[in-house]
Amino acid sequence: MLTIRSFASIPGGTDLTALYRARVGDYPKFFKMDTACKLGFLLAEQLADAPRFEPREDRAVLMFSTCGSLCNDRHYEESVRDFPSPSLFVYTLPNIITGEIAIRNKYAGETSAYVLERFTPETFVALVEQAFQDGDTGSALCGWVDCRADDDFTAFAFLVERGGTGMEFNVENVYGTVSQ
Amino acid sequence: MKKVVCIGESILSPLGATPAENFAAVCRGESALRRYEGMFGVKEPFVASLMDRERWTAPGRTFFDSIVIEAARRAVEAAGIDPASPRTAFVLSTIKGNVEYIETQDVTLACSARRLAEAFGNPNPAVVVSNACISGLAALLQGRRILLGGGFDHVVVVGAEVQSRFIVTGFQSLKALSEAPCKPFDARRDGLNLGEAAAAVVLGFGDEGWELADGAVRNDANHISGPSRTGEGSYKALRHVLRNCSPDALAFVNVHGTSTLYNDEMESIAIDRAGLLDVPVNALKGVFGHTMGAAGVLESILSMHAVDAGVVLPTRGFSEPGVSRPVKVSATMGKTTKQAFVKLLSGFGGVNGALLFRKGGAGC
Amino acid sequence: MEQLVNEIKVKLIDALNLDGMTPEDIDDNAPLFGDEGLGLDSIDVLELIVLLERNYGIRLANPQEGKKVFQSVAVMADYVNANRTK
Repeated sequence: MLTIRSFASIPGGTDLTALYRARVGDYPKFFKMDTACKLGFLLAEQLADAPRFEPREDRAVLMFSTCGSLCNDRHYEESVRDFPSPSLFVYTLPNIITGEIAIRNKYAGETSAYVLERFTPETFVALVEQAFQDGDTGSALCGWVDCRADDDFTAFAFLVERGGTGMEFNVENVYGTVSQ
Repeated sequence: MKKVVCIGESILSPLGATPAENFAAVCRGESALRRYEGMFGVKEPFVASLMDRERWTAPGRTFFDSIVIEAARRAVEAAGIDPASPRTAFVLSTIKGNVEYIETQDVTLACSARRLAEAFGNPNPAVVVSNACISGLAALLQGRRILLGGGFDHVVVVGAEVQSRFIVTGFQSLKALSEAPCKPFDARRDGLNLGEAAAAVVLGFGDEGWELADGAVRNDANHISGPSRTGEGSYKALRHVLRNCSPDALAFVNVHGTSTLYNDEMESIAIDRAGLLDVPVNALKGVFGHTMGAAGVLESILSMHAVDAGVVLPTRGFSEPGVSRPVKVSATMGKTTKQAFVKLLSGFGGVNGALLFRKGGAGC
Repeated sequence: MEQLVNEIKVKLIDALNLDGMTPEDIDDNAPLFGDEGLGLDSIDVLELIVLLERNYGIRLANPQEGKKVFQSVAVMADYVNANRTK
């Protein structure tokens, strides 16, 4: 059985730089990230458990959205008219958010990014459960980070584990947690 | 445990409109890589493998959506399944989809996935796997997981990518493109070429034919655009899929082989660490270019055809070894009697993936 | 020259999103890459190549060449001074 160890969310319109300064402060790469990656990074900072920064292969990072990297894609497309920006281009991939979280936390397990038409607990739970078919995956940081524009986003994430003592990771509990 | 097998395939590429046509073209040593000047309004010339847009664009659809749906249609037909059944799922693999229309249309990847499901009257939610350059491989693995998770009889996995100013200028800004046809694993390799293709596989349960036996995705946790210098994630993915399989059983490892300095070097280290220095290694990027979201599906299908024909496909563009480990790069067409292979890919975001395919009787 | 050094620092901070840094924080001769100094990486090199082209009309085709030019802000300024076309 999968259980929820913890949950984090970042309300739409949050000042991400202020949140970073309050909670983190020592990771200058944060300022190079696009908004979706900043959101994923900050969610992971809230969910990361001790001991931190020790390499582990049993932790997966699974990220879901509707917009993928579209918000940053628009910034890159603007740069193309002048000089195409390599540092914007590298963020035009929906899975870079999983890479940023993996790098920061030294999570060397599975990382996957999915694009769905909308958030539904049914699809979200099913895809996360399926990821646990990999026997090496003991826990997963999985979330919905949908960045429609730099100031318009939905962002929440769960730390889910095999066994554990939290409430069951199922459709009802995900729905209940997310709609609070 | 029930076996997940491939029951229908399709490939649309500049080299052909069926898997057989594409396989024959690869065997003949062909490639559609050519130099384009002014294409997509890109200032700098570039070498790429591009499809005939006019031929493949359906009325009222974008080129991308057209080849996605056409590749799916052909694979569904080959498999003889009911695509409208609620017990059939669709998984789309792409990185940039319709991004060329970013300024004028809704280009979210999920829109393309919905149109794919709608084209077949399928009621299930559209799922897009967008995991950088390993997307196609990850989508096949996802298809396997959906079946093993229960509730479905078939999964149609479609991988597709079309090129655009957006993508070409991006890779140019990263100085990642070669000005000549690429040379995977070669001493003179200096970058990749981009490519367009769509390929689809229908997965189902069965005892016959090609089994998608296992798969793994692992992250380097090192850098978002540079591969690990120690091949960490690629090695871990290989180690996972080969945990119950002897390297002796493998006909070959079909690698990513993008022909960038760092990727091919990294893969050679991962192959060495996984104990695969005696297994032939080949790459198809010199034939099709880097077809991004299509690559995992396209290259897996051609590898299945190669084993069926008892051959190890050549690595077009390779002549002189140029990686630090003595990997057995297959420069010319080889023969094999083995019945299993590994498909390997890596991508931005530090992501790496390996799939193990086998046929009845393979010793793993 | 001092003006050019300062100008490059301002553009560098902007182009590389070096948040919270001011030109005074960057030593003219400190290495830009590696563990000392600013600790920039391979994507930063590519972004600096764009910076040179956009602002000074200098085209660097090879990122390896960039590593020599981008040793420090002082080296960059000398290079810009000698090669600028605008």
